[in-house]
Amino acid sequence: MNATASAAVSVLTRPFTRIPEVQRRRIWMMLLTAAAVAFPLVHNNDADIDSMANAAAYATLALGLNIVVGFAGLLDLGYAAFFAIGAYTYGILTAFQLQPEWSAFWEPFQFLGLVGKMPAETGDGSVVHFTLSFWLALPFAACLAAFFGVLFGAPTLRLKGDYLAIVTLGFGEIVPIVVRNWSDLTNGAAGLNGVAAPRLFGWSFGVDATPYYYVAIALVALLIFVSVRLRDSRIGRAWMAIREDEIAAGAMGINRTKYKLLAFAIGAAFGGMTGVFYVAKLQTATPEMFGFPVSVMILVMIVFGGIGSVWGVVLGAFILQLLQSWWLQDLTEWLHAIGRAVDNIWLQHVDLVPSIELIFGLILVGMMLFRRQGLIPATRQQAALTLDQQHAEVRRGGFSDLKLHGLGGEMRSPEAALDIQDVTVRFGGLTALNKVELKVPRGGVVAVIGPNGSGKSTLFNVITGLVEAEEGSIRFYGDEIMGLADYQILEKGIARTFQNLRLFPNLTVMENALIGQHARLKTGVLAAILHPPGTMAEEKQAREWAMEIFSIFGNRLAPRVTQVVAGLSYANRRRIEIARALASRPRILLLDEPTAGMNPAETLELAEQIKSLNALGLTVLLIEHKLDVVTTLADTVYVLDHGEVIAHGKPDEVRRDEEVLRAYLGRNAQASLAGASVNVA
Amino acid sequence: MTTFDLLLQQTINGLSLGAMYALLALGFTLVYGILELINFSHFNVFMVGSFVALFVLQAFGLSGQEVILTGLPLFGVLLVAFIGTMLFSGALGLAIERLCLRPLRNVKGPAAMITTIGVSYILFNVILLTIGADSKNFPNPLPVIRWKLAGATLDFRVVLIWAIALLLMAALYIFVQRSRIGKAMRATAQDAEAARMMGVEVDKVIVMAFFLGSALAGAGGLIFGLYYNFTSFIIGFTAGLRAFTAAVLGGIGNVPGAMVGGVLIGLIEAMGGQFIATAWTDVIIFSILVLVLVFKPAGLFGRIAPSKS
Repeated sequence: MNATASAAVSVLTRPFTRIPEVQRRRIWMMLLTAAAVAFPLVHNNDADIDSMANAAAYATLALGLNIVVGFAGLLDLGYAAFFAIGAYTYGILTAFQLQPEWSAFWEPFQFLGLVGKMPAETGDGSVVHFTLSFWLALPFAACLAAFFGVLFGAPTLRLKGDYLAIVTLGFGEIVPIVVRNWSDLTNGAAGLNGVAAPRLFGWSFGVDATPYYYVAIALVALLIFVSVRLRDSRIGRAWMAIREDEIAAGAMGINRTKYKLLAFAIGAAFGGMTGVFYVAKLQTATPEMFGFPVSVMILVMIVFGGIGSVWGVVLGAFILQLLQSWWLQDLTEWLHAIGRAVDNIWLQHVDLVPSIELIFGLILVGMMLFRRQGLIPATRQQAALTLDQQHAEVRRGGFSDLKLHGLGGEMRSPEAALDIQDVTVRFGGLTALNKVELKVPRGGVVAVIGPNGSGKSTLFNVITGLVEAEEGSIRFYGDEIMGLADYQILEKGIARTFQNLRLFPNLTVMENALIGQHARLKTGVLAAILHPPGTMAEEKQAREWAMEIFSIFGNRLAPRVTQVVAGLSYANRRRIEIARALASRPRILLLDEPTAGMNPAETLELAEQIKSLNALGLTVLLIEHKLDVVTTLADTVYVLDHGEVIAHGKPDEVRRDEEVLRAYLGRNAQASLAGASVNVA
Repeated sequence: MTTFDLLLQQTINGLSLGAMYALLALGFTLVYGILELINFSHFNVFMVGSFVALFVLQAFGLSGQEVILTGLPLFGVLLVAFIGTMLFSGALGLAIERLCLRPLRNVKGPAAMITTIGVSYILFNVILLTIGADSKNFPNPLPVIRWKLAGATLDFRVVLIWAIALLLMAALYIFVQRSRIGKAMRATAQDAEAARMMGVEVDKVIVMAFFLGSALAGAGGLIFGLYYNFTSFIIGFTAGLRAFTAAVLGGIGNVPGAMVGGVLIGLIEAMGGQFIATAWTDVIIFSILVLVLVFKPAGLFGRIAPSKS
């Protein structure tokens, strides 16, 4: 945005560009808050305030579902179940549904104000009346719903996306069925009655809409705050990594099980809290309030507003809820008026309100076909780089000016950093690796070469826990790592790149590098939301470290840190993968054909950069086809063929090895080329 | 009735339900096998199919159970009704593919599935808003003939439903196994890219999968009407989910698996309703769905789906 022409255009299209972005956002927030607070004061219509309160309640549901679907990419079609669980938690614990007989057991609860004692309707004993406070019910129901979120989420973790949708749909159906059939607890289809209104300092909210409106708006504000804080934290980055590429997420140290369940739990907690609010406002609860149509409606809201976009889903929820309660009615009345004017019977009697679900269906299809990113897209368009910034500075000779503290520092020694023994991997009848033995000495560079299909990538996969070995042992600094999960292996200090690039395509260069640091950062959910000083410092250091890593590649990545990686050149994406792996501060770096697809100049540049990394004391194991790269970098070369190590030694020795020549060129070719110097690759 | 008689009776009922679920499950399996897409619009293509059947039968002047046909007239009416319903439903499925799903063919993520939910919602609400919320009496011209089988009753219409369902499934099976386009379908299900390179017109195969699946769903809708004597805008959801469970149980993508899965789900529904409680039927069926997906995602007969990494 530095060209004057584009600035002039943006003044026309986007006002207030002169005010810095942060301040502009603050001003919008203040205006929005003021409008939300003033609404009931200036618009004194109870029904309208009630509609707004409902819209706000749906906005909180949309925010909750957005965590699961938008952030973590887990399509949940049964979200209303958590809404129901929260609603019935509060309903049952304040209505007169459960009335166990009074006993001494209840006295401490009475002291805490959670239960009351009342005379039984029949007989002369006393029974318990639950009187859970609304304000306690909010966190309690959130925890309970989160528990069910984990319970429902756990069996679905191994499923692929579509199956997840159908299983959550199943749970979404089971919960209302259980509610309907477990009448002792829920009063069945008739619904709970006499749910208590919230009280604040002894004053009951009653049936007036205004206090509910303020509670709902406060809840929306709170959940927006929590959503934004989580999104921009280590937690949110982990979710988005899972959404973008599960395998790469695991390889970058993210415990997928944990973070998927966390998304389910937090999303469910939002739903549970909203359930409490909704039932307290309605003062009744029936199973029909939480069926599949509700789950779909919330999904429509986030699809409409923008999947993954916090402000988008809030906007989507408000628009659709108000469409339902205000605009369709207004529109119907206008049509009736027109009908009377033109004397058309059909127009006089048409009613648009029941067509809301049809509109939902049209919105789903229309948005998917024509605007998948929603009203407010989660990622905004990036300004293009200027020509100046695009100018790549070719850097030869590696680097010597960078210290990169915390990376490498290994003293060269013949002792093994990585020690692979007798590793065998079979896929069905195919033996991909057969009793492979390989040692990577500390501080050294080892290259693995071999024809296509010789098991090189399988070797990397078995080291990093993506493929299970049938037998053998892999020791890393003496510790057995075979059988560890992929993310644990990264935590130990083994980071890798992938042959076919596995970046997180819709995230920025910086976000990719920050995800690489996942295992080295500590921020948990609470710290992500509350931002204690330690967390802020950690985030700042993480960004500084990422910038330091980027500077290895000269000015190739540094100007592009805010760009989405999907739009970058192939060579730059390769560099980002290496940067992402380095960001995790590995003790050994595994590179799978790092220079594939690069031109000779770029290849040489990268080889020298890898050499410099090694000079800092970083151990490297690489798969490479380009022989000049192998000879420049490697101390030791291993040759794989048909899953077996057929030779290893210094690059020059391996080049002359007969078996190697045979593997690459075949027996006859070898004979005809006898004596000639042969380029192995 | 003794327990044995009850078992026998519920087996008869279960097989009839199962025949319907199997027809519906085939649609899920054909589309999933080729596109790896859970087609939620299938739920309500089935429902629309039952209304189309209703209108075709009404066009013959049939209403309720007043007019009974036998012999050739019955055969003729049923033939026209099945063909008409299946053609219309098939065309509906084809239109859904062409208009809503083809543009999303290369879009990653849940966009296509979300679209099918939207289409399903549109079909559901169009029927609700135009035809109404009350359930409609379904014309049933079949003569009432009942046979005693130990303590259970076997109805002529049940036998007819079995025969029609078997005929349709056999026809589909032979079509998929023997015909040129059937072979192309199987090849595409294995590896769409390789099939394309071998000259298979993948678009045609996909269109065919949608057409066949939707036509069978329409036949299922007609059978629903004949079996229950009513139809309503609401029947798609429950039947669709049960049929989907059937497809998963049999191994999604596997044609004979869908048939067996359908029959099993029908039997489970009938037995569960008899010996446990109708109210819990859905919970039982969903639990089966979850258990199968978690412990045996390939289903009873499915090959393990190749993980696309």
